[in-house]
Amino acid sequence: MILLLALAGGLPVGMASSRWRGLPYQTPELRFVWLVFLAFLPQLVVLYLPNFRSGPNDSLSAACLIVSMLAFLGFAWLNRVVPGMSFLLLGLILNLTVIALNNGFMPISPHTASELISKQALQDFQAGDRFGTKDILLLSESTRFEWLADRFLPPSWFPYRFAFSLGDVFIALGAFVILAWPGLSIKKE
Amino acid sequence: MKNKLALLALSAQKINRQHVQLLIVVLSLAMLVLGVGAPTDPGGGGH
Repeated sequence: MILLLALAGGLPVGMASSRWRGLPYQTPELRFVWLVFLAFLPQLVVLYLPNFRSGPNDSLSAACLIVSMLAFLGFAWLNRVVPGMSFLLLGLILNLTVIALNNGFMPISPHTASELISKQALQDFQAGDRFGTKDILLLSESTRFEWLADRFLPPSWFPYRFAFSLGDVFIALGAFVILAWPGLSIKKE
Repeated sequence: MKNKLALLALSAQKINRQHVQLLIVVLSLAMLVLGVGAPTDPGGGGH
């Protein structure tokens, strides 16, 4: 949600900014775009397609997630000169670190999870169970780099509940800057 | 029919290279953020 909001917000800001300056909107110049589609493929199969999602075991899903994130890391590194990509790269490294150190999934504590689902529903889960698409329910004390886990929640007045990590914040910021200020580097030159 | 084809051709001309480029960039950024981000929501399910 936080990530899609950043994309949905970045594009109109970029377009309005270009219009205000009287210039056409400069589409961000991303290279090796094919790598994004290739990197997303393993995640699409094991995490998002319902028919496949229940099929592979957790180890295979975790391996696919890490391989996929490494491919995304390659893409972000190859495009590191794009304004905003450095934020996204940092967020990616933070998420990849905490995922790789916690059985290949993003850890979430029972306390944070209880803010997303009812206490009764949470009783069906045990420590170590998959939670959501990419998360794993882990006690805070048995989580490595707990400060990088999904531990933040939107303010209570926000209509939609979700948990996010510090890495997600940087990724959202990066995506917003990429679309909102695509001509930043050109302007500097 | 001829008019409709002409209209279609005119619309296609309006979709210039930059629009297609922007669509590809937005699509690839959406895949990138969904792929590297890991927020969780109650609708994500479990088990």
